[in-house]
Amino acid sequence: MTSPRRHLWIAAAIWAVLSIVGAVLVSGIQIMPVIASREAVIENSAFVLLTVLSVPVLMFVVVGLAYSAIWFRADGDEADGPPIHGHRGFQTVWLGISFALVVGLFGYGAVGLIDIRGAQVSDFEVQVRAEQWAWHFTYPSAGVDSQELHIPVGERVHFIINSDDVIHSFWVPAFGIKQDAVPGRTTQIYVTATVAGTYPGLCAELCGLGHTDMRFTTVVNDRAALEAWLRQSTPSPAGSQPPASGSEQPS
Amino acid sequence: MRALKPGLLRAVLGAAIGAAIGAGSLILAGSLGMEITDGEILGLGYLLALIGFLLGIGAFRFWLIWATGREVNAQEEHAAHGTAGDWRRYFRFTTDHKVIGVQYLATAFALFLVAGTFAMLMRLELAQPGLLLGKEAYNEIFSTHGAMMITVALISIVGGLGNYLVPIMIGARDMAFPKSNAFSYWLLPLPILLVAINPLLGGFDSGWTAYPPLSQQANLGQQAYLMAFVTVGVASILSSINFLVTVFRMRAPGMSLMRMPIFVWALTVTSVLGLVATSIVASAFTMLLFDRVLGTSFFRASRGGDVILFQHLFWFYSHPAVYIMGLPGLGAILEIVPVFARKPLFAYPLAVLSFISIGVMSFMVWAHHMFVSGMATFFPIPIMLTTELISVPTGIVFLSALGTIWMGRLHFKVPMLWVFGFIWAFLIGGITGVFLADVPTDLTLHDTYFVVAHFHYTIVGGAIFGLFAGTYYWFPKITGRMYSERLGKLHFWWFTLAFNATFLPMFWLGIEGMRRRVADYPAQFGGVNLWISFAAFNIFLSVAVFVFNIVRSWRRGPQAASNPWRAQTLEWQTASPPPIQNFDHIPTVTTGPYEYGSGPLIGVPAEGRSTP
Repeated sequence: MTSPRRHLWIAAAIWAVLSIVGAVLVSGIQIMPVIASREAVIENSAFVLLTVLSVPVLMFVVVGLAYSAIWFRADGDEADGPPIHGHRGFQTVWLGISFALVVGLFGYGAVGLIDIRGAQVSDFEVQVRAEQWAWHFTYPSAGVDSQELHIPVGERVHFIINSDDVIHSFWVPAFGIKQDAVPGRTTQIYVTATVAGTYPGLCAELCGLGHTDMRFTTVVNDRAALEAWLRQSTPSPAGSQPPASGSEQPS
Repeated sequence: MRALKPGLLRAVLGAAIGAAIGAGSLILAGSLGMEITDGEILGLGYLLALIGFLLGIGAFRFWLIWATGREVNAQEEHAAHGTAGDWRRYFRFTTDHKVIGVQYLATAFALFLVAGTFAMLMRLELAQPGLLLGKEAYNEIFSTHGAMMITVALISIVGGLGNYLVPIMIGARDMAFPKSNAFSYWLLPLPILLVAINPLLGGFDSGWTAYPPLSQQANLGQQAYLMAFVTVGVASILSSINFLVTVFRMRAPGMSLMRMPIFVWALTVTSVLGLVATSIVASAFTMLLFDRVLGTSFFRASRGGDVILFQHLFWFYSHPAVYIMGLPGLGAILEIVPVFARKPLFAYPLAVLSFISIGVMSFMVWAHHMFVSGMATFFPIPIMLTTELISVPTGIVFLSALGTIWMGRLHFKVPMLWVFGFIWAFLIGGITGVFLADVPTDLTLHDTYFVVAHFHYTIVGGAIFGLFAGTYYWFPKITGRMYSERLGKLHFWWFTLAFNATFLPMFWLGIEGMRRRVADYPAQFGGVNLWISFAAFNIFLSVAVFVFNIVRSWRRGPQAASNPWRAQTLEWQTASPPPIQNFDHIPTVTTGPYEYGSGPLIGVPAEGRSTP
């Protein structure tokens, strides 16, 4: 007959081993599939931290359940278990650890959010306008309209977001942030792209029939290439063509 | 003149007449040149149909007798309570809480099957990249699936198991207001029917959340959903009042608050939430209805309204509503654990406190659904704190369950299997909830399949696993017969494996960037989605096993003893099924509900505990 204290030690040992192994296994992985902005870097590290912390919590309950299911079966024994109504020390420690975890997570999350939304200064401004079911990007500095998003790499970009009809949500997964486009309001978001490249963008908020296909292309390029694209897209002073024509996707 | 006697037939007739008068008068007015919209016709038609239905079923009968100065004779009141063994009482305005409980359960499971069928259609569309049913149909299907499943989660345990068991568990003969109890049940059939037939009205495609302006553009089916939701809300408020008065005024002698079974505590807190929060969403939906039908502009940005206001009002109810769905399940689980672990519920007073704290705090977390909505930039910070704080009382459920199981004498009957399944599912739901509460990670996860997976783990984990656990546990009490243990185990393992195979991969899909509420997706997700559709189909098949088991066992399962689980709570100290008056004599309670392993009570059914 194993004593109650012995059961506890064995289960605790199994839990500790599984937790450490699990935490080490997940600690090194990159969770977000594409990381192309300063904000996504912050999010990915939050992701990894939360995942690492989840392991001991998950294992605590799983080991507790599995160990009990193996060792504490009645197997036809009709007798009752010990009349334990609670345990002062255990309950206090449980509450203490829960609160400590919450406060820690909150602090970390708050710092992360301030980091992401905090510095509201920008080097480049883009006006984003959503409608059912298309995205329009305007570059006030150059007077260019486009259905494709072009931003400079390594600079803080300010998106000023509006909607013509229903709620949409501006989302570039590689940048790790999204912001609803709300009719009657102007919302905004700041992003610093860190890796040049072409990324898909999506509408993340259900907006009706065309929601599934409401996509756009994002091009992150160095400043010189961006300026060249803006010049090429600028409507010629005499031209009567709609300004978006110069920026149609090749596909 | 059978059709003129109060009953289902007359109710259907009444509804038809009401709809004809309501819709007909407006159509007539329209043909005379007045400007009448379809929305107005649907609105008045539905309102009068509802009144006609209630009149027909006999919901106003007693009140009409009083109003006209007559006396209600005792015989009639007795007849309304129903006669034991008469199946027709389930289809009438019957005031016995046990009949009403069964009515709710049957309605909820029927709706569960219909909503599950809609889920199968969703998985059919999503099984392969490309379009099969089409985008419009898909939007309507998932909206209807959501609206129905929310209703199932809201009414099944509270209305079904709660109505049946709470009065018996506290040693009362019925609910405090039996007529209002029956009234709130009979409010439901018409709105549920209206949601089920909304595709005939053009469907609604804005999801169960019904965010304007999308819901202002949507078809007439949208209006049907809004009206149905408000009606269900009225039923929910009525039943909340009933539970609260019952619990606080009708407990048997000796049943102090801290001797109440934990399930009763869960229902009590749930009822407070239902009473306080429901009117808020009802008013939000009514404002939306007014915007659609009467030309107001509460949420019309083009005329000075505010679309974000709707989200605040909606979630101010709908987050507490998550706990209206979840708490009864948690209560049922903690009720079952001690019985099959043969140990007292671990930290019972703390569990009670945690339920109360969950109830209070559920009003402080609503805006975590809105981190990217465009509300004030740093308002997410306090909401992140309250959201993470609510995990402390929710975690107490795990403390209580694990503490009870540890060193217990575990009997793995079907209800106990569902307890273990519940703990796993709710744990995954809880852990992944932290990723959504944390604003930096939510910014990328919001509106992806990660959210879909998370809330299915919490709502199915909390409400549906709790519902199945409770249904198997109390089945012998309710029907007087035993279910098939073998089929029950088959149902459990099939459902649980299929459920996890369906929803675990969705976390990965969400992280990889698959949006929710889309009919089509990039080809790279094709393989995983095919697997999910296959697994989801298995969930549906496993539920068929459950339905077969329940129907067959109810008709010819072996007779159940009055206390087959050797449980100590009051409902097991009376016959199975209980007599019309619940107890021959109202018991006097002398101890707590879970005194397993305490001296002379060991292994003995607790008759000695509550003296007649």
